[in-house]
This record gives sequence, structure tokens and C-alpha cells, in this order.
Amino acid sequence: MINNLINMSGYGIFVWSSFVITFLICGLVYYKTRKTLKKYEKEFAKEIEELSAQQKKIVLKNSKIASKILSSYNKTI
Amino acid sequence: MLNFFHNSYLFVLIEKLIKFINSIFFVLLLIALSFALIFSPPDYLQGDSVRIMYVHVPAAWISLGSFSCIAILSILNFIFKIKNLKLITKSIAPIGLMFTCIAIVTGSIWGQPTWGTFWAWDARITSMVILALLYLIFIAIHKFFDDDDKANKISSIVAVIGLINIPIIKYSVLWWNTLHQPASIKITGTSTIHSSMLMPLLLMFFVLILYCALIFLMKYKTEIIRIKKKNLKRYDQ
Repeated sequence: MINNLINMSGYGIFVWSSFVITFLICGLVYYKTRKTLKKYEKEFAKEIEELSAQQKKIVLKNSKIASKILSSYNKTI
Repeated sequence: MLNFFHNSYLFVLIEKLIKFINSIFFVLLLIALSFALIFSPPDYLQGDSVRIMYVHVPAAWISLGSFSCIAILSILNFIFKIKNLKLITKSIAPIGLMFTCIAIVTGSIWGQPTWGTFWAWDARITSMVILALLYLIFIAIHKFFDDDDKANKISSIVAVIGLINIPIIKYSVLWWNTLHQPASIKITGTSTIHSSMLMPLLLMFFVLILYCALIFLMKYKTEIIRIKKKNLKRYDQ
């Protein structure tokens, strides 16, 4: 059965290479997208930390989304 | 209701959706792969090589759907000037390019056992290559123009002009003599594909759509953070 699954009546090389290429590309794109997202989250959190206490307070008060990004980043570390 | 579309609400929703898709994705992928590679029957004519269809066809559908979506959103953006729309189009484009490339590559692999050649400049393949080029131009414009508004205007024009290519891809098999067979699945009318093959095909399509949603949400979230990061510099000065 395993042999049949791998060989696929002689079409195995075509079928398996199609599936492997598809999911390899999908995996790489997922990895790269996730890495970029984490990088931006980290840089954003770092820039917030570099602000003075007063500026930080203003930013977090004025931008709900900034505090959401920060809390989302803090959850992942 | 309008609050729902506010970025902070969207941001929370995006996070929840990413978590949800991550939690169900691998189970669904395993089920879809089992049907595509094991349980679905071989074709009476093409044998087991027909299984390539389970990645090739959904990839082609997604590539066409993504570009249509980008073009429609670009038109809406021209009319209503909604800021979020340009973020959405920018996030969809790389996904569309990826699936166009997958459709071309898997199609080429499928061509060898079916037609006896990896490549032929037939109407559908050529129009798919043009679609890949349109995606590349769209992405390159956003990458190389520093002015976001200018990049958005030019890329929108490319998307709207490129929309002409979508019906050409769809109907190329009817308008010209090509190696491709006419569509087996019809939204209006009777499909000529057996349910034992249609079900795994739709299942794989659903899994790849989930994957697209996951990548799109992560890219959209990245774009929101990028904009907020830019805005932070105002406080820094």
C-alpha cells in the first residue's frame, strides 16, 4: 500500500513534486510573514520603550491600537 | 456599527482570527491531503496524475480571485478613498503572486504526463504568465515608490487595467484552440466532475483559502503596525 502511495502507478514523481513544491512555498511564505510581523512588533515595542514616560503615556492614551500592539507583543515574549 | 471598523477593533479581531485559524488549520490540512492523495479515485484516462488537480486548480482559482479582489478594491478606493482598502490590496498581492506561481509550476508538472511537455505557449498559460507579471508590477510599485499615495494610485491603475486579463484567462479555453480542457466545474450549469473528485477539490480549496486568510491577516497586522510605527516618530520629535 505504501509502495502504491509513493509510486502512484508511475506518476508519483509528478504528483509528489507538485504537492511538495506547493506546501514548501506555503511554509516558507508563512515563516517569512510571521518573522516580519514579529520583527515589526518588536521594533514598535522598542520604540515605545525609548520614549519618555510622559510621551509614552500620551501615545498609549491617544492610540488604543498602540496599547493593543504592545500587549500583543508582551504576550508573545 | 462604525466602531467595528475602527482599527483597534479590527486589530483585536485579527488576533482572534489568526489564533482560530492556527488552531484548526493543520487538522483540516491533514484531512484534505488524505482525501487528495489516498481516498479520491484515479481518473479513468489520466490515472493518478489527476491528483495534481487538487493543488493546481485551487491555486489557479485563488490567483484569479485575488487579482479580481485587488482590482475591485482599487476601483472602490478611487471612488471612496478609504484608507484601509489600500492596506488590504497591498496585503493580498503577494498571496496572489504566490498562488499564480504555484498554479504555473504545478500546471507545468501536470503537463508532462498529460500532454508530453512541461511548457507550451498556449493561451491560458500565456495569460497566467501575464497575470504573474501584473502581480509583480503591483508589488514592485509599492516597494520602490516612497510616496504611499503615488504608489497607491499607480498600482490601482495597473490593477484596473489588469482586470481585462481575468476574463481572458477564464475564457481562453473557449476562445482559442488550447491544450487545456474546458472547465469541468460550472457555477451555472451542470459540472462534469464526479462528486468523489469534487469533494476533495473543494476541501483542498477551503484549506488553501484558510491559509490565504492567515497570511493576509498577518500581513494586514504588519501593515497596521508599520503605519503606527511611522506615526510614533511624530512623538519622538
